[in-house]
Amino acid sequence: MKIISQKTRPYLILAATILVLAIVDRGRGNVLSGATVFSALQYLATLGPVALGLSLTMLVREYDLSVAGVFGLAGCVAVLVGADYPALGFAAAMLTGAASGFIQGLIITRLQMPSIGVTLGGLLTAIGLAYVITGNQTLSSDNIDLALALNARVAGLFTPRSIIALALAVAFAMALYWLWIGRDLIAIGSDRRAAHTAGVRVDALMVAVFTTSGVLAALSGALLSYSLASASPSGLSDVLVPATAAAILGGVSLSGGTGTPLGVTAGVLMLGVLRAGLNALGAPPFAHDMSMGAVLLAVAILDAPGIRAFFGRFQMTGNRAEDQTVRAR
Amino acid sequence: MKPSVLSDMSVPVTPAPGRFTWMTDRIDFVDGLRIAVFAALAIGAVLTPGFLSVPSLLSLLTTLSFVGCVAVGMTMITLSGNIMSFSLGATAAAAAVAFVHVLNAWGLAAGIAAALVTGALISAAQGLIIGSLRANPIIVSIASLALIYGVLNLLTGNATLDVETGSVLSPAWRRPFGIPIEALAFLLCLFIGQCLLSFTVFGRRVFLIGSGMRSADVLGLRVWRSVTAVYAWAGVFAAMAGILLATRYNQANMEYGIGYDYDAIAAVLVGGVAIKGGIGSMWRTLAGVCLMATVQVVLLLHGFRQEWQYLIAGLIVLLVVVLQARRRS
Amino acid sequence: MNSLLSARDLTISFGPVHALRGVGLDLRAGEIQALCGENGAGKSTLIKVLMGIYQPDKGVVEVDGVAQRIASPQHAQEMGFALVAQELSLAPQLSVLDNIWLGDRSVPMFHRRKALREKARRALETLQVQIDLDAKVNDLTMGQRQLVEIARMIARDARVLILDEPTATLSDVEIEHLFQVLRKLRAQGHAILYVTHRLGEVFEICDTVTVMRNGAHISTGPVSEVSREQLVETMLGRSFSDMYPERLPGPGSTGLSVSGLCIDGSFENVSFDAPRGKILCLAGQIGSGAGHVIRAIGGLAPLTSGRMLLDGRPLTGSARGSTIAFISEDRAKEGLFDRSVLENLVAGQWQDHARLGMISWTSARRRAAELAASVGIDGRRLATNAFNFSGGNQQKILFARAAGGKTPGVILMNEPTRGVDIGARSEIYRLMRDLCTRGYCLVMMSTDLEEVVGIADIVVPMYRGAVVAHYEGEEIDISRILLDITHPRTAGEVPRETVGP
Repeated sequence: MKIISQKTRPYLILAATILVLAIVDRGRGNVLSGATVFSALQYLATLGPVALGLSLTMLVREYDLSVAGVFGLAGCVAVLVGADYPALGFAAAMLTGAASGFIQGLIITRLQMPSIGVTLGGLLTAIGLAYVITGNQTLSSDNIDLALALNARVAGLFTPRSIIALALAVAFAMALYWLWIGRDLIAIGSDRRAAHTAGVRVDALMVAVFTTSGVLAALSGALLSYSLASASPSGLSDVLVPATAAAILGGVSLSGGTGTPLGVTAGVLMLGVLRAGLNALGAPPFAHDMSMGAVLLAVAILDAPGIRAFFGRFQMTGNRAEDQTVRAR
Repeated sequence: MKPSVLSDMSVPVTPAPGRFTWMTDRIDFVDGLRIAVFAALAIGAVLTPGFLSVPSLLSLLTTLSFVGCVAVGMTMITLSGNIMSFSLGATAAAAAVAFVHVLNAWGLAAGIAAALVTGALISAAQGLIIGSLRANPIIVSIASLALIYGVLNLLTGNATLDVETGSVLSPAWRRPFGIPIEALAFLLCLFIGQCLLSFTVFGRRVFLIGSGMRSADVLGLRVWRSVTAVYAWAGVFAAMAGILLATRYNQANMEYGIGYDYDAIAAVLVGGVAIKGGIGSMWRTLAGVCLMATVQVVLLLHGFRQEWQYLIAGLIVLLVVVLQARRRS
Repeated sequence: MNSLLSARDLTISFGPVHALRGVGLDLRAGEIQALCGENGAGKSTLIKVLMGIYQPDKGVVEVDGVAQRIASPQHAQEMGFALVAQELSLAPQLSVLDNIWLGDRSVPMFHRRKALREKARRALETLQVQIDLDAKVNDLTMGQRQLVEIARMIARDARVLILDEPTATLSDVEIEHLFQVLRKLRAQGHAILYVTHRLGEVFEICDTVTVMRNGAHISTGPVSEVSREQLVETMLGRSFSDMYPERLPGPGSTGLSVSGLCIDGSFENVSFDAPRGKILCLAGQIGSGAGHVIRAIGGLAPLTSGRMLLDGRPLTGSARGSTIAFISEDRAKEGLFDRSVLENLVAGQWQDHARLGMISWTSARRRAAELAASVGIDGRRLATNAFNFSGGNQQKILFARAAGGKTPGVILMNEPTRGVDIGARSEIYRLMRDLCTRGYCLVMMSTDLEEVVGIADIVVPMYRGAVVAHYEGEEIDISRILLDITHPRTAGEVPRETVGP
């Protein structure tokens, strides 16, 4: 589908969503309002870093299931450890995320395993740890001041959390664009063997990617818990569904090798707008789950390898090099 | 560089071809480890005060039966090379709701039929997408999870649906021959599952697809049909769990089955079914289910609260996944 | 002129296979040296040793007169060696500029794009090629991609260029361009090692030619002092052993008949008749399209156009798996299952051993034992995992399965004896003859000329997507065929602007 190029697709989808919601709203002004923008940005604040980290792992053709668990665990760690010194709690949470990602990354590269099995173990362990340290209860923190500070409005539309999320997205976008790391990651994702032969440090970068994914998920979880002044183990649907959907909407594919941080951000914003718009239109709570699930299912179908066969292009012969020789003209 | 598949692998102990070929699959040294652990665990369990009491054992049996049914379905999905599904627990809940609803209107038989069909359809739809389009099975199941909960929320509003006649089964039926009916149902599912695997053409195809999907394509096997059937059966077994839950508590709620997927996949992997597919059997799942349930009960009896279950499960999964990697390297 | 690169007595073995036996090589600056040899001669292995991918068991490599131990591909790169392999090491989703500098450790973190861009641009200029530095490699033709790989070498100041079958997938125009580039590089003092099957190119572009055979170095000498016939003779060595069973006389009955087969970008206008009871072999090197033809007939690659008839009737889609069996060259991924031999043998036929959906294991086991016996596999090993067998036995399993249908059909094979040792090979050839007697129609493809000439009743050489000739019985002559598949121009071939990918 070369009409809409990979690069502009996320922004087009975002624009389309806004348009559709506005039409449904029939000009009552509920959708196109500051409240919607604010809400979407808050959604970005929570989901943005997680989606970013997850998309990095997808970029190299892997998938980090454990972000869902680390997100919740980090929040619990932050609140527990940071009762008196929030900064300490924050550091502890980030360390947890880093350790989780690092260990999983090592296992994946050293044992040359696909990431699914290892991150499944990581997910369960993280969820388990979260349950254990919280005693299966919602923790609450006394640090209301911090919560208020994190939720303070900046320029009417932003909060410190959403600014952090935006800053991270921009920082990653610049890093991947200007530094050689961006090229290397795309190379690993698009043809790992070729990248290795060309001299790319595949193993080291993979470990770095998983560590980053853990850190970003932890950061997000910690900030969220501080802003709510409470923490509890999170569920799968809350985090993985929107993060994955946002990544794929943003141009990242499960087959690796494509995608940009800004595209993923657009994807998250689109989901945020959808959510806020549905709220503004008075949709009941289950509409969220359904819409998110539907979106993810749709993009999973469109991203599937067999979809090209469905649209009449030839079916994969399986041998990648051979496919390329037959396809290019 | 990855070692070629054709290079020397550790030669597993193979059974002589004979009457029991259809029952056994490959056994290797990790199984030896398993048996040792199982034995140690059994000894530890028996020595734990309170374990060998009849009420304790019966309660253990009941608990593991619910997850066990889901695990039977999960086994089929894993064997076919599709790793796991995150939506089987939600499917169980949906089936439970359908069961009670139809039971109230048209009686027990209709209720059971409705539940089984519900489970089959929900899961088969996913199987169709995964089998024909080769969409990512994990993502599709996560999306389905969100969708199922959304729909259930829509239909039930998170309210509990009661069995109008007060009780599904008369007390006599709850413990036929002194064994909880849940356990009998689980064993029935296990038996059906293993018969499917060992004695049907479908079962053979599941193993072929799991151990070489491309080879299956090349051979002309219609992979999508078998994958759809695998998921359909998984849905049926999950529905069974839902029926059992509704029968036990005489009510249905959409929150049934939460966390069952984790327990199920942990049991499946611990028993020795390979996460990459193509190797395993229902007997392994049975062993895994018993092992995990025993661990849980022993922990409880030793004073560890329920929260530790997830953590232990996670660590065990990580360990098993890492050990399975050794086969290839 | 001193040697830039000098190797002596290189020896390496992989298990029982002696891949290199005391091989020596001399590369001088400003020279293009051809490296020739049949399949399995050891050319790839030699290159991999030079590039640090393999470590030799014995032998010494001298660079600029100093003995070196090339420990890794990175080390080889640092010493100025560069390889353009058949499988390119370009990342399809990155741009040309990014690929040229991919993996270069000396590139600083905040890479000064201007300087790098300038160097890349100059490299492309040297190659006299108009490629946009920001174009995605995915959008380039194979010829352009190859030039990008060469540009990468030049930009990184490589001195020794090793090219492995560079023209396999290039059009005439692209080949001409490549030759101009190589001549320019030679004039600039680079040393070029040119590995090829195409003897015409050896005479066109190379200064010296080295011949290898069976892992050993046979000869090296100036191109001007050798003729094509002599080269062929040196490459083939002694005459083939009698591991090929006798051909059967007789015309054979109507079997598979294809006409006008075409896949855009791969091959066109392929037609032949493969009668039952005979073995038809498509002979061709990489890039000839022969393998794709076989896959297309087997239903694994969609045809742009063409017709196929079996026994006079058109082939249907459902024929795959029942009447038409395909044995891939990659048996690990596209043939075998990671399960027991029994399951591999009966795969796809389970419904024959089932009534009302329930399997009879006795019936299946009996059938598996029959099939195993028919190809000489020990019936006591039915429960062993297929991947624990040798390459030859694995191939036999696939043959047994292919011939397991109720009525004899068509068996398609790509490189049927790849990775199979000599002993097992003769068994497989006997097996193929046996299948012929039973009425099967065998259509295969092979890059091993000895094999082609030894086993085939009908040989159809292909070159760059076109059928070059057609030989039957007495007409089959190995030198003639070698020329056919390596010759740049034949009477009937249509010169193409952009063949292929």
